[in-house]
Formats: sequence, C-alpha cells, structure tokens
Amino acid sequence: MAYEDKTFKTKRFQVLAEKPVNRHSYLKDWPEKGLTAFQGVKDPKPSIKIENGVVVEMDGVARADFDMIDQFIADYYIDKSVAEEVMAMDSLKIARMIVDICVPREEIVRLAKGLTPSKFVDVVTRLDETEIMMGIHKMRARKIPAIQCHTTSATDNPVQLAADAAENRLRGFSEAETTVGVAPIAPFNAISILIGGQTPHVGLLTQCAIEEALELELGMRGMTTYAETVSVYGTERVFADGDDTPWSKAFLAAGYASRGIKLRFTSGSGSEVQMGYADGRSMLYLETKCIMITKGAGVQGLQNGSISCCGIAMSVPSGVRSVHAENLITAMCDLENASGCDQIFSPSDLRRAARTFPLVIAGTDFIFSGYGGVPNYDNMFAGANFDAEDFDDYLVIQRDLTVNGGLVPVTEEQTIAVRNRAARAIQAVFKEFGFPEITDEEVEAATYSHGSKDMPPRSIREDINAAQDMMKKGITGLDLIKALIKHGFEDIAANLFQMMKHKVTGDLLQTSAIVTAENQVLSAIGDMLNDYRGPGTGYRLEEDTETWEKIQRIPQEIDPETYES
Amino acid sequence: MDPKAIESLVREVLRNVNQASAAGSGSALTAQDYPLQEKRPALIKSRTGKGLDELTLEGVKKGEITFEDLRIHPDTLEYQAEIAEAAGRPSLAQNFRRAKELTAVPDEEILSIYNSLRPFRSSKQELLGYADRLEKTYNATTCAQLIREAAEVYEKRDMLA
Repeated sequence: MAYEDKTFKTKRFQVLAEKPVNRHSYLKDWPEKGLTAFQGVKDPKPSIKIENGVVVEMDGVARADFDMIDQFIADYYIDKSVAEEVMAMDSLKIARMIVDICVPREEIVRLAKGLTPSKFVDVVTRLDETEIMMGIHKMRARKIPAIQCHTTSATDNPVQLAADAAENRLRGFSEAETTVGVAPIAPFNAISILIGGQTPHVGLLTQCAIEEALELELGMRGMTTYAETVSVYGTERVFADGDDTPWSKAFLAAGYASRGIKLRFTSGSGSEVQMGYADGRSMLYLETKCIMITKGAGVQGLQNGSISCCGIAMSVPSGVRSVHAENLITAMCDLENASGCDQIFSPSDLRRAARTFPLVIAGTDFIFSGYGGVPNYDNMFAGANFDAEDFDDYLVIQRDLTVNGGLVPVTEEQTIAVRNRAARAIQAVFKEFGFPEITDEEVEAATYSHGSKDMPPRSIREDINAAQDMMKKGITGLDLIKALIKHGFEDIAANLFQMMKHKVTGDLLQTSAIVTAENQVLSAIGDMLNDYRGPGTGYRLEEDTETWEKIQRIPQEIDPETYES
Repeated sequence: MDPKAIESLVREVLRNVNQASAAGSGSALTAQDYPLQEKRPALIKSRTGKGLDELTLEGVKKGEITFEDLRIHPDTLEYQAEIAEAAGRPSLAQNFRRAKELTAVPDEEILSIYNSLRPFRSSKQELLGYADRLEKTYNATTCAQLIREAAEVYEKRDMLA
C-alpha cells in the first residue's frame, strides 16, 4: 500500500490517498536484488564468439562457465549463421529497423535469431512505449488478433463452468483456461469447459492449469485441447526450484506434440526476483532468457507479460513499458504471444486500462491470457485485470477505436440459450457416468447466474471423489462424445469430435493456431502470417466488414431515425 | 541432341515423377499445403491407419472409432515439421520430429521419463538408461540424444540425484 501509516493534514492529500491507485505499493529500483525493470547491476554486456559452429562465449561468459540456461540458449536458440552479423550491428539501428515500415517482419525475425539476451535488451530499451507498440503491431505472428479467457469458479461448480465456457465462446474468446480451487477437482473442471466451450459452435481451445504431469495426462486423455501452464525461468536456481530444466521442458513439449496437442510455455518478468534468486539481473534480461529457451525448445508460443508476478513488475519505474517490451521480444522471436494483461495488479481502473489498451490497439496473438470470463470473485487465477463486469466497456472501446480486440456483442437471448444448453449437456454427461447428480434447479441457476454466488450449494467432496474415479476408470474425450450423442446433444458431440480431429491432423501445432466458428484453423502461416507494412497493409478491421459490423452493433445502440417519430 | 540422350532424359524424368507420386507428396510440404485437413486431407491417417474420411461421428455411433483412432500418426508430424521448416521455424520442426518418435511411446512412459528428467531425480546412469531404452525400443534417436545431453549438463551443474 502506498502511504502506509501516513496521515495527511490537507483534504486534497487525504482524498488522493484514498484513491484506488494508492492501494498498490510503489518501489524504488533495487538493482542489486534484480528489482529493476531493465537495469540490473549484473546485466552483462552483449557479446558473442563462435568457433567451428559452436558458441564459445555469450554476453561475456565463456562456454566453460555457462550455466544450464546459457548452454541451452547458445546451442538451441542462437542461429550461428546470423549471430555475428547482427551482433556487430548498432543496437540503435536494429531498434529503428523494428519500427521502420520499410523493413519487413521477416527481416527482423531473421536478425533476431542471432541476438543474445543482453543484445535483445539493449535493442528494445531504445524504444519508447509508442515504438514498442509499433513493433508489436508489425511483429505479431498471426495476422488477426485473438483473445483468451479465464473460465473458473470459486466453488469449482461444473454446471456454472460449462455455462460460462459457452457464454465465453459466444462472446468471441478463442481460448479458455480453467484452473482449480482445490486440486483434485481438476478433471471435472477440464471436461466442464471442454463441453460448454463447444456448445455455441465449434472451436474453443480449452486447457486446465494444474501441475505439469497431470496437465499432460488430461491432454492425453482428450479432456483438454491445448496446454499453457508449462513454466520456464531465467536463472538456473529458480528453474530448478520450479522443479524443471530446459531439457525436461523440451521433452515435455515433444510429449504434447506427439499427441497433437497445442502447447505454449509460460514465463514473465518478476518471477525470479519473487523467488529470491535474480542474481542482480534485471527483470527484462531474465525474461528474455525465458523467451529464448521457449524458442530453442521448439515450442510455438509463450504466455508472458509478467503474468502472476505483475504486482512486482509494475511497482518499479518503467514497469509496464518493460513488460510490453517482453511481449515485443516474444513477437520478434516469431513466437505466438499470449500477452498477459491477466492478473489484477491494481484496483485503479485508469491504471489497469493504461496497462492493457496499448496492447489492444497494437494487437497480439492473444491480447489477454486471459481476460476474466467470470466475475472477479470467481477468478481462481488470483483475480483478473479485466473481467466479466468489464465486457460492455471493452465492447464500446473496440467500437470507439475501430479495433478488433477479439470480442463481439451478444444478446441476452443468445446467451441464455447457450448457457442453458451447456448446463443441460454437462448434466447429461454426469448422469451417464453416474457422477453426482446435477439437478434441474442447478441448470436453471447456471443459465441465469452471474457467478458462483448465484448457484445452489453442491458437495465438492462428492465431485472430487467422482473426478478421481473418472480418471481411474480411464474415461476419455471419446467417451464424453458418446455420452453427448446418447443424450441428444449431437451438435456438441460433433463439435467436440472436430476438435479431436484437429489433433489427428496436427494443424493446431503450428504457430499461433486458433479455430474459427466455421472450423477453419488460422495460424501464422501463409496468408494468415502478419504482413503489416504500414498504412493500407496488415489486418484492418474496416476491411473485415463482417466483424466490423458486429463490433459496431452493440445492443444498446440506438438508431437515431427512431427519434423522428 | 542425341536421341539416346533424349530417351534417357525422358526415362529419368518419368522415374522421378513416379517416385514422387509413390511418395504421396514428392517434395517437402510448404505453407501451400497448410492446413493439412483442408489442403491435403488424403495425406492424413490416424495412428491406427484410418483415413480422415473414416473419422466420422457416424463411425463413433456405430462403435467403429476408438480413442486410439484419434491419435496423430508419425508421418503427419513429419508433414507438419516440413511445413514449419518451410515457414522458417527449424526449432519447431525439430520439436515435431522428437514428437514423431514419441508417438510410439505409451502415455505412462512419457510421463515417467519427463518426471525422471526433472532436476535431482535421476542418476546419470539412470538417465542414460532411459535414453538407451528410447533408442532401442522405440527408435527414438533424437529424444535419446536430448536425454544424453541432459545427463551431461546435469552432471556438470550438479543436478543429478
């Protein structure tokens, strides 16, 4: 808290002290501990030496002294064919190329393959906030931006989760992630949003954030369609404390791909300093290493933008700018970027908007990762920067700025219909497998609810036992499809089956994949690769007339001609 | 031009054409072939050998589709690797080629090797044993290489059990 224990004599200061912006702490840089956006006392000077195709020195460290992270980056990230060329270039020149519309995205992607962590930081810190956003606008992988949501419940209520996932898809989210209030309920939360998410139409990618091994198992069982909560860190000590190494994570990544499951890694500024071992390195420098590990491991994308450590990153000077710079570096690495904007860090509406809207305007592969698709009290990712109570603000701002932020207006009638159908579908599946009964009263409540407070109480103990039992019995996604068909939900079954077929084709494994309501896979390949080259190029909402029409026609819009009568 | 030379040239061309059509795709796939489901559906089969056109909801209703039929085939991962390479993403392609090897490895074994690769879990001998097993049992040479490399790094950085 700002102004802790301080009292003011003037009314003006008293009023200001009470404002939401002062319910967050602001810290002076502490570079020795790594509590600094991009000026760590031990941030090394950029350097590279290559002998016989092997990196023998990187950022002032000789190969013999590499820790496991340095070695992984040197061997798996650095493209030896371009490293010497780009490392000899002036950082300011590279920074200018990023914002120069005459330099195509492909050229920046090529050069970025040879940058070391320190050189990356040296380049992007030459850019001011506007230039960072220009860079993201050009460097984003997928031509069309998208948006991800959190679909969670404070009581892990399966009916509410199914109904909310259905509404979230209707509103335009391309991905939904759930997590748990209590860990053993995870398989139920996963199948609730899996089924709910396919209710309005095909295409919602869903995942359940849980411990790595169980998350993989849920994917292999066909209970999720992507995975994201696979964390990487920027120092060796913190990586090991997180119980992994770049090699274990690279193996895990191959495991996911071997089952056709889309995967991105997760990282974010501040995790190392939060875990106490930043080694005097700045947050941006360490985050850059995470981005490079992700690329080196052959993973198509990364969720970053500080994520669960944004309270720390945003307490220091240039915190938000630095977090946006990490999104830019991710895009320069030609990775799909789910660009944070997720965890709440300040109750100040102005501040959370200032943190978010530059990215909405620039557009990223997933602007939020995620946007709270439920009210904040139901958000089990420790609250969201934007949530279900901000839907209308967000929709109006898209309309104001002519920006596709990923959401579309919906009517109450449509919403009631999909919420009810999703709730009935999960009710039927529970009945089929003998899970604890979902009553008609619960279906009705979920249809009209805002959050878990509007739901009748349910025994979580019984649900947990049934969820564990489901895993023991080896029930798969295909069994869910069969149950849906049997109980008259063939449309949802068909959509779910389409999602499973995408795993057979492997199309979702390519960079930045989403599935449209028409079952079209869009990723950063061919004509869906971002081709922004200045005015008149790239994705332009006004040229996407169907979406622009939808975004304009918010339900509260009035036709002024009606005033004439 | 000598008629014999022309004949041998034509024969050479024909042989190449025949080989290409026998291979199904001929040269490596590119962005033009993506998404496979839309552009090259005939190339795709499930791990169990079912064609994409056999994977239907009707088939599910008749009980003709098993969960195994919904698994990706190693050849498909090779196609996706070629597409990733053509898109200038060699590390992504490398991941798909490791994945291609792991299609043959059961779920439990992947989970178990992953857990063993975590820091301070395994001795060097154990890690080398997993690598050998992957190589010998599943012909997973690139995955084995990754594990052998991890064993070296863990030894150097004191992360073995």
